[in-house]
Formats: sequence, C-alpha cells, structure tokens
Amino acid sequence: MREDGPTSDRFRILVCIDGSDESYRGLRYAVKLGGGVDADIVMVYVRPIDQGLRSGGLQIRVARENMLDWGLELPGIQVLKKGWEILRETELIGDDWTEESVHTDVAGDPLGDNKIDFSNKLGRKIVLKLKVATDVTTGILEQWEIGEYDLIILGASSTRRSAARSLIDPSIAEKVALNAPCSVLVARGLEVGHGHLICTDGSERALETIDRDIYLASRCNCAVSLISVSPDVESQPQSLSFLEAARSHTTDTGVKLEDVLNPVGDAVEEIIEAGANYSVIVVSDSSRSGVEEFLMGSVTKSIVRKAHNSVLVMR
Amino acid sequence: MAVRPLQPKNSGVMHRTKRVQRAIGVAGFRQARRWRRRLDFWYLWERRWFLIALLIGALMLRMPTPEGLTTEALTVLAMSTVATILFITEPVPLPTVALLIIVGQVFLLGIQSTDVARSLMTDSVLFIMGSLMLAVAVIKQKLDKRIAWLIVRMTGTRTSSIAFGITFVSGVLASFIGEHTVAAMMLPVGITLITLTSGNPKEVRNLAAVLLFSISYGCSIASIGTPSGGARNAIMIGYWKEFFFDPTNAETRKFLVDYLDWMLHAYPMFLIQIPFVTFILLRTFRPEYRDLSRAVVKLRAQVDAQGAMKLTDWLAIVIFLFVLYGWVAHSSDFGLGTIAIMGAACFLITGLVQWEDFNSGVNWGVVLLYAAAISLGVQMKDTGAAAWVAESFLEMLRSVGADEGIALWAAVSGLTTAVTNTMSNGAAVAVLGPIMLKLATVAEESPLLIGFITSISSSFAYLTVVGTPACTIVYASGYLKTTDFLKVGWKMVVMSTIVTLLLAALYWPLIGI
Repeated sequence: MREDGPTSDRFRILVCIDGSDESYRGLRYAVKLGGGVDADIVMVYVRPIDQGLRSGGLQIRVARENMLDWGLELPGIQVLKKGWEILRETELIGDDWTEESVHTDVAGDPLGDNKIDFSNKLGRKIVLKLKVATDVTTGILEQWEIGEYDLIILGASSTRRSAARSLIDPSIAEKVALNAPCSVLVARGLEVGHGHLICTDGSERALETIDRDIYLASRCNCAVSLISVSPDVESQPQSLSFLEAARSHTTDTGVKLEDVLNPVGDAVEEIIEAGANYSVIVVSDSSRSGVEEFLMGSVTKSIVRKAHNSVLVMR
Repeated sequence: MAVRPLQPKNSGVMHRTKRVQRAIGVAGFRQARRWRRRLDFWYLWERRWFLIALLIGALMLRMPTPEGLTTEALTVLAMSTVATILFITEPVPLPTVALLIIVGQVFLLGIQSTDVARSLMTDSVLFIMGSLMLAVAVIKQKLDKRIAWLIVRMTGTRTSSIAFGITFVSGVLASFIGEHTVAAMMLPVGITLITLTSGNPKEVRNLAAVLLFSISYGCSIASIGTPSGGARNAIMIGYWKEFFFDPTNAETRKFLVDYLDWMLHAYPMFLIQIPFVTFILLRTFRPEYRDLSRAVVKLRAQVDAQGAMKLTDWLAIVIFLFVLYGWVAHSSDFGLGTIAIMGAACFLITGLVQWEDFNSGVNWGVVLLYAAAISLGVQMKDTGAAAWVAESFLEMLRSVGADEGIALWAAVSGLTTAVTNTMSNGAAVAVLGPIMLKLATVAEESPLLIGFITSISSSFAYLTVVGTPACTIVYASGYLKTTDFLKVGWKMVVMSTIVTLLLAALYWPLIGI
C-alpha cells in the first residue's frame, strides 16, 4: 500500500498548513467538511529542502543537526502541534484511535519526511505530516500523487499580487489551484455559515461543479447560492436559462438554495463583489490549456487572485 | 430530505480516471500524469531563466564582435553572462553551472581539456575545501554551549548586552573559522534563549529578530576580517596573485597578500561596525523583553549538565590554534590551502571527526562551483574580456563624474553590494573580481584598494536570505521573514558602506595602500 494512500473510497482532504491564521481556518473548515464519518484528513507542512550551496559550502543539515542536538524542533513541528490542538478541540479523535509514527528517507535531506498516522477501527485516518520538498508547491503536488485527494485546502498569501507579478511569479496558492489534479480551496478569511456561491456559465463543466459542490455543502450543512453574470443586458435571458438549469440540479438534494443572482457586467468583478457575502466562491476549473491560459488568462485564475474571500476551484 | 448520493469518486471525471487507469494500469497512469505535469507549461515556465540565459548566450555569440574585443573575449563574456544569470536565478542546480563552464571552455574556447582541468585546482580552491572540512570538524566538537555560557557570563542578562555579546563573540569566531561555522554553532544558542524566554513565537517576535540577526550580521561583518573568514577573501587573494604578481619583478611582491596583511587592512572594519550593528538592531526591532534572566538561568542548567571540558575538547582547540598559527605565520610559504588541508587531516587522524562527517557536511558542489568560476575569471583576464568590460564601465562612470577617488570606490562598492545580494558572495567576487581589478588598472587606482573594497562589499548582502551563508542559516530557524531582512538590511548597507569608504580614505593610506 502506498504511503498515506487511500484505503477505501473515503473522501480525502489534504490541508496544507504554514502557521498562518488562514491555514488554521482552512483546517477548521476541513474538520467541518469531514466531520461526518468517512473523511480522511491529512495535515501537511512542507519544509523546503535544506540547500547547502547558499550556505557557502557547508550543508545546512550540519546546522540543523546541531539544533536537534540542543533539543530544538524543526520549524514545522510547532505549526503541526497547533493544528493537532485544533483537531483535539473539535473532539474528532477519540480514545480508541491508534497512533503510528512513520519516517521516510528523502534524497538530499537527512531528516526526510515524518508523519504521525492516527486511525480508528473503521480505517478512517487523520495524518500529521512534516514533508520536505524542493519547494512548497512541489511538495503539495507530490503529496497529492501519494494520496490522491479529493480536495486540497490551503491558505491564501497574505499579500495580494498584481497581474504582472502573478504572471511572472504566481503565489503558491495560485500555482496549486491551477496545477493540482483535484479541487482546491484557497482559504481567505474563511468563515463557516455564509454559504457557497456557485458560478455557472451554463457549460457541462459548470453543471458538474454544481453537483460536486452540493455534495460538499451537504457535508458542512451549508446553503448554496447561484450566480451567472451577463456581459450585457441582451444576454440576460441566456444567463437566466443557465441559472434555471443550475437550479434544477439543486432540487431534491436537501441542500438549501438561498439566492439566485444574475448581475450584468464584467464576470470577474461581479463575482468577486457578490462573493464577498459568502463563505466560499465556487468556480469551475478553466478548460483552457496551460498556454492558452497563460496568454489569455482565465476567469478562474483572476477570481483566485483577486477575490476578497475564499475560492474553491472545482475539478 | 435525503442528499442526492453524489459521491465524487463516482462522478463522471472519476469514471474517466478509472477507465484510463484500467486501460494503462495504475502505475502507467501515474507515470503518464507525472509526464503530463512535467510537460505542463507552468513547469517549463519555471525553467524559463535557463532557456533565457541560453538564448542570451547564443545571441551574444552570434552578434558582431564589438570594437576592442576579440572573438575569444566575446565568447568568455557570453559564458560569464549566462553563468551570472544562472547564479542569480538558479533554474538548475548550481553545480550544473560549474559543469557547463568546464564544457564551454573546451568546446567554445577550444582550450585543451587537461589545461581546463589544471586551471580548476588552485590554492584558493584548496583553501575553500579545507576550510569547509574544518568548519564541519569544529561544529562536531559541540563547543557551542560553552561559548553560549561564556557570552552570558561576559554580558549579564540585559537583552541589549546579550545582543552585543553575541555579535562580538560570533564575529571574533567567524573572522577565523568562517561565518557558516559560527552561524551553525550559534543558531541553537539564539533559539534556546528565545524559546526559554517564551514558548509562543508571537510574543518574542522582535527578540528573536534581534538575537538571530546579531548572529548573522555579527558573522557577516566579521567574515571580511581574515582570509579564513570567507571563500571570497581567498578568491581575491588568488586573483591578486594571478593577475599582478610577477616573480621577476620585486615590486609586485605586494600583491602576495598573506594572512596578517589581510587582517591589518580589514580587521578594524569589523571592530568598528560591532556597536553599530547592535544599535541598528535594537532601534529597528525593539525587543519585547529587556532582561533575559529566566532564559539565562535555564541555559546555565543545560551547560552544567555537560560537565567539565573533556580531553577531546581541548585537543580540538589545540588543533585549531595550530592551524591558525600556520595561517598567520606560514601562509606565504606553504599557502593557505595546504595549511587548511593539514588541519582537516589532523582532525581525521585524532579521530575527532570521521570522513563520513566531512562527506555529508561539506557541499562539494560549492567547491566545484568556485573552482569553475575562478577558472572562468582567469579566462576573463587572459582574453581581455575583463579589461574591455572595465573600460566600458569606467566610461559610463566618467559620464557621471565617478571615475576616480571616493566616487569610484563608492561605485565599485555599490555594484558589488547589488550583485552580492542576488547570489552567493563567493560567486559575486569570482564574477566581479577580474572586472574590478582591471578597472583599477585602467582608472590608475590601486588594485589592492579596489580588490579590498570589492571583497569587503561582497559581505554587505544583508538584504536577502541568499546573500550570505549566515543569513541563510539563521533563516532556517523559521523565526524570521524575508521582509525582516529588507527592514533592517538597508540600514546595515548604508552603515557598512560609509565605514568602508572612511577606512579606504583615512586608514589604508596610513598602512601603505
């Protein structure tokens, strides 16, 4: 069996934490989503691999080993401990859970990957993992390969990047949101209880997004709302038909449909403005290829970068 | 009302995934996914600097040869430009740059493979190698707790005094045994004082910045104090000898700079800066705790648990003092490198360190990188490329009236500071050294003075994490943000530049430059 690999068709959430408040909010949201009976939660802190070249020829591992000799912890341990306390507060883990520590050697780093694996009799897992990788984005994507998750949750960067900077040097959240093979929730001031705003453009992909988000909303008892932006007044009837189709996907699901919005204007700006009142803006993955997206941009990418609150990119 | 059974793993996409998996097997599917990701545009985009560097290099090779430049010199310039871009942007592992320099010299410049190989190993490279092995050996002796206790005994428990003590002791040690060695030894001391003061990092944010920067900046300002303080000093000594020493001309003997000569010129610079460092740090970060009595008491308990100094501890100190004596008294006879290597051999013979420790603790890629960079630097001189760039640079400075005296020194210092903040300081001196020394010749300045300014300014990499080994090491603690380096770094750059220029104008003339 692969390390951290799925043992069943259980819903699997990867929560990437870095010590920021956003990432802890993301963790709480993951608990809410996985609070039923069948979700695995893997909490990962990615530590960039220690590089000796920049230290003038002395491997940083020498400094690192010296720190460990003093009984000092690696940077990510404190962050994982706080995440663990949050999990304990939610009483997610009971006394009957078993604990197992696992170390995996990683080429180029003496400390490698380390994790503590908690599991119950039903096979449900909660994992705390300290992972090393060449960079944080690669670490998160590699972790997906190991575990094949249904959802990745990570905190947004504290500083907002301009379009030009984002083009040249996208943030970790942007890179993961656009490259991960599964759905990604970029947490930004994430608060439970304000519902999900699902964006639709009438496409098959958008309808699939609605189905998937209703499943997620049902897990956290969240209401959903729908939005379809018309570029001008003439195209409003078409948008209304999209919304009607979308509405039909929400019936008989047990999930409350709150608002149905049809603003006129620029899609990105209208969605961001309307989305500010909700916990999460839900968008479909862009259908464009990497090159097309780079040259022309995409609504999804712009929303991930500019939104004031959390964005879920659904795949 | 029941929720529609919409398990994501049974959705359309997942069905497609499963179908693909069944068709090509799980392993094949994962492999295909991996390849798809590797071919993904964004992954190519992340390697963009490698492609851009190669493109620029190719364009330079195809362009008409500028006046005053030979074809060989243009080729060396193209190679240097590509190497500089790769040093700064690091799209490929840095030792790759060293390998490409070696390959380029054979294929593009047509130099015999044996000659290229010979140019890779000089006394400077031997010294860098030996110093790194000594660094590992010293750290392995675990003398850091005793040093920590020495600091707090000297300084008392006031935060400002401890910060000053850490800067002073880190500096004095770093000036002899290298900044990376001391930063690695002192980092646990700093973190222990921080964690013993408060377990909550947010409560000691500024205290952490003051103590950790006291270590890194203490090491940085001291690393120019002696040749063994940093690889760049040895590189500059090598360049002086290679470029200006002529065994048949007694006048040129002044370019054989030995350990004491270097100290005489550069050590005062370190001593003058110490109080300024503490002042700048305390003014910038204002620590939350003015007194660290609680932490000091606990630290003392930890040190007491170690017991008295052991025979092996004393032996390690004796070997290092022996190496230091060799550097000071005999480096002009035997070379800095031979003495460093001899010291490393002594540590191995006495069993104080194992070869495996050297093997895993030294990044041999760095040694290769410096060797290749120095080799390319020599080609810069031999082909006339360095002189051409120096003349062009001087022409530019002349247009703004900065082609002589303090203005020229400030320009040299400014350019070196800018470059060293973007790449390792050893690489900065390896790349800039030949140009700056030729600049000195063309501008009729002393190559020793310009060389010292270049080498000293290469330690002003206070602005970024990658600039100096000490900064990289303290950043690994996880307590500092990259913005902290900018917040305090610019003040340090201004202070260090002023001290350097004052030293060059007032002190060096007194001792014969």
